[in-house]
Amino acid sequence: MDIIILILIVFFAGAVLTAFSEKISTLVQDILFLGTLIVPAILFFTGVEMNTDTIISFNKVPLNLGMTPLSYYFALIVMGLAVLTGVYTVGQMKGKKRKGYFYLNYILSIGAMFGILMSKDLVSFFIFWEIMTWASYLIVIYNGKNVQKIGIKYFVMSAIGAYAMLMAIVLTHSLTGSFLISDLISGFGSWDHGMQILIPVLLLVGFGVKAAIMPLHIWAPDAYSNSPMSYTAIFSGALSKMGVYGMVIVFLALLTKVPEGALIRDIVAWMAAITAAISTLYAIKQDDAKRLLAFSSIGQLGYIVIGVAIGTPMAMLAGLFLAFMHGVFKSTLFMVVGAVEKQTGTTDFTEITGLIRKMPWTFLAALISIIALAGIPPLGGFVGKWMLYESLIQSDHFMLVTLVFFSSTAAFLYCYKILFGFFLGQEEKEWSHVKEAPALMVVPMIILSIISVVLGTFPQLIMKPINAAMTFYGMPDTYGVLWKESMLFNKWGSDIALTPIMYGIMAIFIVVAIFLFFRNRSRTRYVTTKDISTSGEIPKEHENLTFTRGFFQPFLRAVEPVMRKQIDKYMLSFAQGIEDLFEFTRRIYNGNGQSYAIYAMIFLIILLVLGKNLFG
Amino acid sequence: MEGILLHILGAIATFLLAFFVGMTYGGIRRKVIARVQNRYGPPIYQNFIDAFKLFSKTTAVHHGAMHLLGPAFLIVSAVMALMVVPVLRDNLWFTNLNFHGDLIFLIYIMVFGPLGMALGAGQTGNPNSAIGVTRGLSQMVGFEIPWVMALVAIMIKYNTTSIVDLMNIQNEVGQWLIFQNPFAFIAAILASLGMFRYAPFNIVGAPTELASGPASENGGKFLFTMMSAGSVFAFVKLTLFVDIFLGGASNLIVLVIKTFLLYMIPVLYGVVNPRYRTEQAVTYFWGWPLLFGFLAIIYSVYF
Repeated sequence: MDIIILILIVFFAGAVLTAFSEKISTLVQDILFLGTLIVPAILFFTGVEMNTDTIISFNKVPLNLGMTPLSYYFALIVMGLAVLTGVYTVGQMKGKKRKGYFYLNYILSIGAMFGILMSKDLVSFFIFWEIMTWASYLIVIYNGKNVQKIGIKYFVMSAIGAYAMLMAIVLTHSLTGSFLISDLISGFGSWDHGMQILIPVLLLVGFGVKAAIMPLHIWAPDAYSNSPMSYTAIFSGALSKMGVYGMVIVFLALLTKVPEGALIRDIVAWMAAITAAISTLYAIKQDDAKRLLAFSSIGQLGYIVIGVAIGTPMAMLAGLFLAFMHGVFKSTLFMVVGAVEKQTGTTDFTEITGLIRKMPWTFLAALISIIALAGIPPLGGFVGKWMLYESLIQSDHFMLVTLVFFSSTAAFLYCYKILFGFFLGQEEKEWSHVKEAPALMVVPMIILSIISVVLGTFPQLIMKPINAAMTFYGMPDTYGVLWKESMLFNKWGSDIALTPIMYGIMAIFIVVAIFLFFRNRSRTRYVTTKDISTSGEIPKEHENLTFTRGFFQPFLRAVEPVMRKQIDKYMLSFAQGIEDLFEFTRRIYNGNGQSYAIYAMIFLIILLVLGKNLFG
Repeated sequence: MEGILLHILGAIATFLLAFFVGMTYGGIRRKVIARVQNRYGPPIYQNFIDAFKLFSKTTAVHHGAMHLLGPAFLIVSAVMALMVVPVLRDNLWFTNLNFHGDLIFLIYIMVFGPLGMALGAGQTGNPNSAIGVTRGLSQMVGFEIPWVMALVAIMIKYNTTSIVDLMNIQNEVGQWLIFQNPFAFIAAILASLGMFRYAPFNIVGAPTELASGPASENGGKFLFTMMSAGSVFAFVKLTLFVDIFLGGASNLIVLVIKTFLLYMIPVLYGVVNPRYRTEQAVTYFWGWPLLFGFLAIIYSVYF
């Protein structure tokens, strides 16, 4: 049997088994859950080969499966994150209710993502896409809070995306007579002009929903923050990348063949840049860590989409690199929030303070992923940011690069808010009982943090698969041109060498740290955060000196004009209008026989009056 | 082996130079402010006395690991920024890592330190520190926009992002960038008012208002580390301006003259100004500086 089918069978059978094993014991269930995630990952990393075709037929409908270099790259993200978040999930879900339901959907969505990546035809792509949407929808409503508002919002947006995609698939079939993605790509160049624009746009709408690009993003803040954090790590880290995966195919293989492609690229890039800027401002405003990270995810996905949409070799490299990095650091951050939530019971910045001494490992993971998110050297986020800026400048998108720079500088604000809000600041008595999260939760976070650090110095580890994916779709080889080992080049030949920078930073840091940290730590006395300089007044134990409310108030006052407009409100007023229309229709079909008789009468009168004009 | 030794010695020499020049300029600034306010003022070497005093003090208390490491982040960032900024043209002693860093890297490494320091300040639990940090970050968002626009304008003018290349091209062309794209220089120098954090943009430290902000829980060697990082940063910024706008310097005397003249701009601008509120300090940079940034880019693209 082919190994891809084997992996899919393990996923789907494992999901069902895990769901029903709840009755036996939770331990068995946890082991089955982990096994269902780890076994496919092992099979994938050892057995799956590039460019092999497998066909399974369901009732004469053939599903073509196989792996391309691009899907290999995205499968790396999905499978790696699935295992690490899986371990974390076992720790986080301990003692929770309805674990079977959660595990079932969790595994189903990961299996579906794997299926999407391995699909070689549009039918199986669509089937797996819908499984993924359904499974994630069921997890979004797992908490049972605001199901009406949040669940329906997510589902309506997903439906819009799915219908757009379905339309594109049907159109493709009517034009080529085949569902194969390779036929779509090869036949695309010879179609008539309208179709060449329509099909990519429809596909982009479908993928844009999952990648949360404005104006299709409105589901994301609620859905991200409402699902359990262990799933949001997957949701934001891997599931949103499925939208990016689709976009990469559209931009790489389809839009390069149409003259209007450049315009569509610019429009999508600008929409993504505006998404990034606005959602960053909203992230700064949030007082709840989950919502903050949800907005931040939308912003970071904006950068990825900008890179993919611009589509020069370096921009594509940047987009795909950032996609991996975002998967790594954003899942870590969601895990951190989940760990804090589990240990303290809340994720509100205005309530929690000073956890650094109670949860040092969680803090370390948060710190490293924040540095990666902010794009500060020497961690991996910087590599992606650097390539993105260089590519934007080289492709003459000067206003775009300014906007991206603005959002990425503004991102420092919310980065600091996460670290300060949870871990730093006054240590209040209220939280003195808090302990470090269990090892099952801490270890995945630390492993992911190490990956962030390693990729900052040795980006070639994932540049190679990216390069393979890009050359597979006909892009020039970037090795030695844009990057070589740990050196990055831009088009003008200016370069940046990451290894000496990394070593330089390490050397200076260690010297100063020894001087300041280790010498002073042993020679000085620890004092509490109440023992601070307050002009001679000594604050009492119960006096709350915490500063978290209105954290960036002056800044928000400065950017207030930009934030007044909300796309959400327009969407809601549109929905209200539709609802009013239905209400009106309902008044016509009121189920009263007398009114129907009147309608028939009116219809007859109209016929009699206008009959001659219409049919005569 | 000798190459590595020369590199290490060169790096140390660069650091000492930056420290010395930065400290002296700080002293001159105090003197200038005093004379404008009709005081006699401290001697120019006062900063060295302060630094020596702080260095020789022993610290008695600490607030935790991040508090101890905060200044370390700051000095790492200052030294790394110094390593990638070329001090002189064609000089073996001050080469360092010049050929492996570019402007975008520099922008980001300069942020690294203040953010690390912000974490250290955060752990002290002093509300004034946190308020200072939020102000500093807000202000950074403000001035980065015209600053980046000016840099982008320069990069596209000469098709390079390397500082060394920029410096060399200006000398080959025989015209400084300040004349080739004056708008970029104006945008950058207005942004530098925010970078130096002198009045009216001294909202972070804000003496008499925030009790020196993020620095308020630090003393002794910590304050010394912060002070030297600040001096090195001032030198880095000034040298960078000289490199990219004034064609660099071929020897130390020219460098000192050029940097000193540039340094007087934020100092003299600040000495007659009171302090802005935070939102004013942010939106200031989105007015005229932003316009000059736009003009700089348009000028680079079309002329």
